[in-house]
Amino acid sequence: MGDHLARAQDFENRAEKKLSGWGLFGSKFEDAADLFDKSANSFKLAKSWDKAGSTYIKLASCHLKLESKHEAAQAYVDAAHCYKKTNINEAVSCLDNAVNTFCEIGRLSMAARYLKEIADLYESEQNVEQAVVYFEKAADFYENEEVNTSANQCKQKVAQYSAQLEQYQRSIEIYEEIARQSLNNNLLKYGVKGHLLNAGICQLCKGDVIAITNALERYQDLDPTFSGTREYRLLADIAAAIDEEDVGKFTEVIKEFDSMTPLDSWKTTLLLRVKEKLKAKELEEDDLT
Amino acid sequence: MSEVFEGYERQYCELSSNLSRQCTAVSTLDGEQKKQKLSDIKAGLDDADTLIRKMDLEARSLQPSMKATLLAKLREYKTDLNNLKTEVKRVTSANVSFAVRDELLESGSADTLALSNDQKGRLLMSTERLNQSTDRIKDSRKTMLETEELGVSILQDLHQQRQSLLHAHKTLHGVDDNISKSKKILSAMSRRINRNKWIISSILTAMVLAIIIILYFKLTR
Repeated sequence: MGDHLARAQDFENRAEKKLSGWGLFGSKFEDAADLFDKSANSFKLAKSWDKAGSTYIKLASCHLKLESKHEAAQAYVDAAHCYKKTNINEAVSCLDNAVNTFCEIGRLSMAARYLKEIADLYESEQNVEQAVVYFEKAADFYENEEVNTSANQCKQKVAQYSAQLEQYQRSIEIYEEIARQSLNNNLLKYGVKGHLLNAGICQLCKGDVIAITNALERYQDLDPTFSGTREYRLLADIAAAIDEEDVGKFTEVIKEFDSMTPLDSWKTTLLLRVKEKLKAKELEEDDLT
Repeated sequence: MSEVFEGYERQYCELSSNLSRQCTAVSTLDGEQKKQKLSDIKAGLDDADTLIRKMDLEARSLQPSMKATLLAKLREYKTDLNNLKTEVKRVTSANVSFAVRDELLESGSADTLALSNDQKGRLLMSTERLNQSTDRIKDSRKTMLETEELGVSILQDLHQQRQSLLHAHKTLHGVDDNISKSKKILSAMSRRINRNKWIISSILTAMVLAIIIILYFKLTR
C-alpha cells in the first residue's frame, strides 16, 4: 500500500517537473500526460481517492493543451469516479466538465449517459430538484440521439420526482406520453397499465373530479383493455369515493388492491396525500353543516 | 326409416306426459283407488320401457349420422323414464311407511340427532376446506401478479438491450466503412511513397552518371 503511494507520488513529481521544464521536440505534454496517468493509477491502487481525482484533473488539462478533447473528457470522467467515493460535489463538477467536453466533440450519447450519472448522484444525495433538472437534460439528449428507452427511463424518473414535488401536471403529461409510445411496441405494451395507473394517481392528487373521469375515459380510448384491469377498477373506485367523500370506502378499496399487489412507497405517499385531502374536505363539510 | 322412430317417439311422449300426470294425481288419492292407480302407472311404465327398447333398435339400425342425434334423444328419454320410476317408487314407499312412520320417529329421534351432529361436523369440515382453498387461490393469484410485474420489467430490459444492440450494429457498420476508406488511403500513400522512391533514385543515378561523365571529360582533356 505504502509502496503504491510512494510510487504515485514519485510519478506525479516527475510529471510536474516535465511540465515546468523545457522538453525536447515539444513532447513534454505527452510525457507529462503519461506520467500523470501512471501516478493516478497508483493513487487509485493506494485508495487515496482525493489525490487520484486531482491527478486525473491535471491529466485532463494536459490533454486539453494537446487538443485531444476525447482523452480529456475521459480523464474528467475518471476523476469524477474517484471523487464519487469521497466528495460528491467535486464529482458533479468533474462530470459537468466532461459533459461539456463531450458536447463539443459531438458525442452526445456519452454526454447523455454522464448527465444521467450526475442525476443519479443527486438522487442518492436526496437533492430532488437538481436531480429532476439533470434527468430532464439527460432525457432531452437521449431523445436527440433516438435512444428512446433510456429517454423514457429518465422521463419516468422526472415524472416520479416532480409528482413528489407536487408538479402534478408535468407528471401526468409525461406518463401519458410514455403510455402512448409504449402501446405500439410489442415488448412494452404490457407495461402500459402501470403507466396509466401512475398518471391516474397524479390526476387524483390534483383533486379535480371531472378531470379524473375525463382522464379515465381518455385512457379507455388509448388502450381498450385498460378497463378490464384491476388498476382501472381501483382508479374508478377511488374517484367514486372522492365523489361521495367517504374516507372508509377509500381505505377499503386501497386495502383490497394492496392485498393483491403491494403498493410501492411512491404510490403510498401520493395516495396518502389524496386521503388527507379527502379527510380535510370531509371535516370542512362538517364544519359548514 | 326414421319415420318409424318418430312414430315411437310420439307414442313415448304421450305416454310419459300421461304417466307424470297420473303420478301427481296419485299422491293426493288414498287407499284402494291409490293401489289401482299405482298398478295403472306400473303398466304404463312397462309400455314406456318397451317403446324405448324398440326406439333403441331402430336408432342403431340407421346410418351413423342420424344415429348420434337419435341416440342422444334416446338417452334423454331414458333419464326421463328413470325419473318417473323413482317418483312412483317414492309415492309407493311413502304409502307403505306412512303408517309406521310415527312409531319409527319415536325411537329414531335419538338416532337422527346423532346423525345431524355428524352432518354438522362434516359440513364444518367442508367449509373449513373451502376456506383453505380460497386462501390458497388468493395466494396463487398474488404470486401470479408478482410474476406478471417481473415479466413486464424483464420485457423493458429486453427492449433496452435490443436498442443497444441495434445501435452497436449501426456503429459497427460505420466503423466498417471508415476502415475500408482508410485502407484505400493507406494504399494510395504507399503507392505515392514507392513512386517518390523511384523518382528520387532515378534522379540520384542521373546525377551520379552526370558527375562521372563530367569527371571523365575533365580528366581526358
